[in-house]
Amino acid sequence: MLTNDLHVRMNRDGVTSRRSFLRHVAIGAAGVTTLSWMDAMRVQADELRKRGMACILLFMPGGPSQFETFDPKPGTETGGPTKAIDTAVPGIAIAEGWTNVAKQMKDLAIIRSMTSKEGNHQRAQYTLHTGYTPSGSVKYPSLGALVASELGNPSFDLPHFVSIGGRDAAGSGFLGMSYAPFVVNDPNRMPNNVELPAGADAKRFNRRLQLMSRLEEDFARSGGQARVADHKALYESASQLVLSPRLKAFDLSDEKDALRDRYGRTPFGQGCLLARRLVEAGVTFVEVQSTGVMGAGNWDTHENNFERVKTLAGVVDPALASLVADLKERGLLETTLVIWMGEFGRTPNINARTGRDHYPRAFNVLLAGGGIRGGQVYGSTDKLGRGVAENPVTVQDLFSTFCHALKINPQKENMSGVGRPIKIVDGGSPIKPLFS
Amino acid sequence: MKGRKVLPWFGTVILFGLLLSVASLPVEGADKPAAYPKPPEGANVPIMPDAWKTAPRTKATSQEIDALLNKSLEADKVKPSPLTSDEQFIRRATLDLTGRLPLPADVTEFLADRSPDKRARLIDRLLDSEEFCSHWGRYWHDVILSRATDDRIKRLGITRAFELWMAEQLKARRSWNQIARDMITVEGALKYGPENADTSNGAAVFLLCHQGQEAAVERAAETSRVFLGIQIQCAQCHDHPNDIWKREQFHQLTAFYARLTERPIRMPGGNRIEGIQLISKPNGEHQMPNLADPKKSTTIMPKHLTGEPYSGGRSDSDRRKALADWVTAEDNYWFAAAFANRIWGELMGQAFYQPVDAMGPLQQATYPDVLLRLAASFRASGYDIREFYRLIANTEAYQRQIRLGDSADEHLQFAGVYPSRLNGDALWESLQGVLGPMQAGSRPQVTGPAARFLNRNSVERQFKDLFDFDPSTKPDEVEGSIPQALMLMNNPSINNQMRATGNTVLAKLLRAYPQDDEAIRMLYLRTLARKPTTAEFDTCKSYIAEVGNRNEAFEDLLWTLINSTEFQTKR
Repeated sequence: MLTNDLHVRMNRDGVTSRRSFLRHVAIGAAGVTTLSWMDAMRVQADELRKRGMACILLFMPGGPSQFETFDPKPGTETGGPTKAIDTAVPGIAIAEGWTNVAKQMKDLAIIRSMTSKEGNHQRAQYTLHTGYTPSGSVKYPSLGALVASELGNPSFDLPHFVSIGGRDAAGSGFLGMSYAPFVVNDPNRMPNNVELPAGADAKRFNRRLQLMSRLEEDFARSGGQARVADHKALYESASQLVLSPRLKAFDLSDEKDALRDRYGRTPFGQGCLLARRLVEAGVTFVEVQSTGVMGAGNWDTHENNFERVKTLAGVVDPALASLVADLKERGLLETTLVIWMGEFGRTPNINARTGRDHYPRAFNVLLAGGGIRGGQVYGSTDKLGRGVAENPVTVQDLFSTFCHALKINPQKENMSGVGRPIKIVDGGSPIKPLFS
Repeated sequence: MKGRKVLPWFGTVILFGLLLSVASLPVEGADKPAAYPKPPEGANVPIMPDAWKTAPRTKATSQEIDALLNKSLEADKVKPSPLTSDEQFIRRATLDLTGRLPLPADVTEFLADRSPDKRARLIDRLLDSEEFCSHWGRYWHDVILSRATDDRIKRLGITRAFELWMAEQLKARRSWNQIARDMITVEGALKYGPENADTSNGAAVFLLCHQGQEAAVERAAETSRVFLGIQIQCAQCHDHPNDIWKREQFHQLTAFYARLTERPIRMPGGNRIEGIQLISKPNGEHQMPNLADPKKSTTIMPKHLTGEPYSGGRSDSDRRKALADWVTAEDNYWFAAAFANRIWGELMGQAFYQPVDAMGPLQQATYPDVLLRLAASFRASGYDIREFYRLIANTEAYQRQIRLGDSADEHLQFAGVYPSRLNGDALWESLQGVLGPMQAGSRPQVTGPAARFLNRNSVERQFKDLFDFDPSTKPDEVEGSIPQALMLMNNPSINNQMRATGNTVLAKLLRAYPQDDEAIRMLYLRTLARKPTTAEFDTCKSYIAEVGNRNEAFEDLLWTLINSTEFQTKR
């Protein structure tokens, strides 16, 4: 059955023959059935993605404190009680509570000199997702939608952009519904409504769709032509998803318990594992949100900063480190850019409620994969963390760096709803030292 | 404003020389002849159009509106679409005015009725119904919640208090100026604990959609957008890039809200929040930030957009009452026009100014003279809401067939009705109309006073999360999504109610109409409020024969009709 499935999938996906597939995989006649389903998916996935790159964004809404994550200032008046710990890379120290990340440091790069002007959550989240400040008249697409539209293969039957844990901050904007994030609320379950209901198998489903095309003609003829055409295209995409054998990628029960434990049995941890599976199956961009419902929580620590970050780190640290390690073990790290970021950082001054407030002036971002050389720190903040000391990085610089990693042209223009050309990134330059 | 010359307002124009990163608003039909005279470039433009001063003080008739519109259509050589059939009309009017499908019995009766004024009487019946109030209560709820900047207000279902409050206002036949005034000047608390919920202050949700430091700015912006149709917040940090508003004016408007704040109400002895209290501060003025030096700012006193300084009492209550007076004043063209533009847009699918909340002295409009007459009529009626709907619904314009231009965003100039998508509420009601009330989800139901606004079926919640959209969005920008399609195709609860066995609506229909011919017709009547065409009828019959199983075939047919484009579209 696996053999037949492969054959059918290949025709639909544009790989011409079973023989060419076998040639690519270079196994003997008896070897086809020994390919695990995921292995087979992975080989095809690269063929499907135009340039072979994918991206996973771990987004920390609320604004994670750089002092308690990857730019600690121990023993200073702004550092608070937070200690620094050594990492696998001599000379790089990060905040306590991130032991797994510390072990994985050889594969990670930290940017300590992020700087922006937005201190409002909604606006800053929008900016860190789109590379633009919010405007009343242009709906800028988020990074996920941009990457999906640049790299996603149109004949791929899973969504190009998946957002785990809720909607992302900006959506697909003027790029339209075909690049809208497909939201998975609970990574431990199959996404809502993708499975055919009881009593309706694939045969009946297809039969219903055919009946639908026949019955839409009258409405199309009496003025609804364009609407019917759009509707048909939408239903074709939806049904491709429903009938896709790749849907199994959403099923975590396929994974070994030991691995699931490594990521952490929180929804966020499992979300990161799901992100790896989806990328393996050919999805171009996966975003995992660290929100309350994901068992992680919001990073907006105006109160009780130190205790709260400790809890948050307890969830995110194993997940982030396991994701990078897992991608590396499977040979996917070179072709997958991993981003860890929030919308801004937090104040050096500790307020009266043992908290830190919003601080876009200097914050940090962590990157891995996608050709980025791990084990380095780019940029720095001053001794007390009040401002950037060296190599300031703007949001546009950061986005240009993402484009460089993903082999996307940041100068390329897309047409907004009112026919205005909008560059993928408006200005900025990629941080070349980050790449090997 | 100092030194503004008075100019004929009749032309509006978009400034193409944009200074900053805000894109120009779409130019509606700029290449059409004769309809859009432009004032000379650089000339001073008054805030209130001159034509408003001499606008009629009488209510208009639908014929008058049609005559005005037809004159422009003729001048532009645009041929209007033919009138809708009775079948098309009853579905459209029932969906538009009450957000649900007409019952099969109502459709049959309407078609059989031979009286010449049956459409007018249908409109009257729909406007007098309970559903008119609940549907438009939900509409205004969506209008304001789509732009809420504070997340907390959305939790616990408290926002439904606004929906219910608005529905009560409509039921009590309060006029739009009274409703606006209430929303701007509301005081007190909104309590939403399960035990002691008090939603009589539902109007407060409008202001409480924004809380904290930026609240005054957001409240001012929303007051302008919702009641005047003007997006004045584009002038928050710099002069408005494509209209006349100066930065100071935005902050002078904000100053009216400078003494209003809010505080959570905590349960006695605990930390749980059970409501929000609106608080009037005894002092404090709005500070306009100095963009060059963040440490400096300027104190701004309240001043109306038209330039009259505020000289009333110092309290928050006095200020907001003065703001409400100015917003709802008879000489405020934008107050009447914003409502007229928005409701005309809801019914016709396209509005005079698009998007409906981007109006202003320099924005371009289609046939502004028709909008002026509608606004004048609305004013003359005392801002009577039902009268206004009645006026539009009885025009020929509203009763024309649907039409689409060559591109999705082409403005039809009201020569036909634009086939907009049904919003989440109307679609949900339609679905329930066809399948019967959805079985309650597994969510525990709240009892007590909060029950009426906290309990919500979990399938309903999932459905509305997918299908709801911001009502102020241009209709051509509302798109379908894959999760929407997945919901209607595969959702287990919805599919359960489509079964041909048991006690479902379909099962009862099949038992009541054992002849396939009749059953097909009844199914169409129930889901699409019309008879099937000959071609559709034949297709259904051959399908039933192919499948060979009556129950299965009808389940498939019902599934197909619910997933069709037509079911989700205004016709």
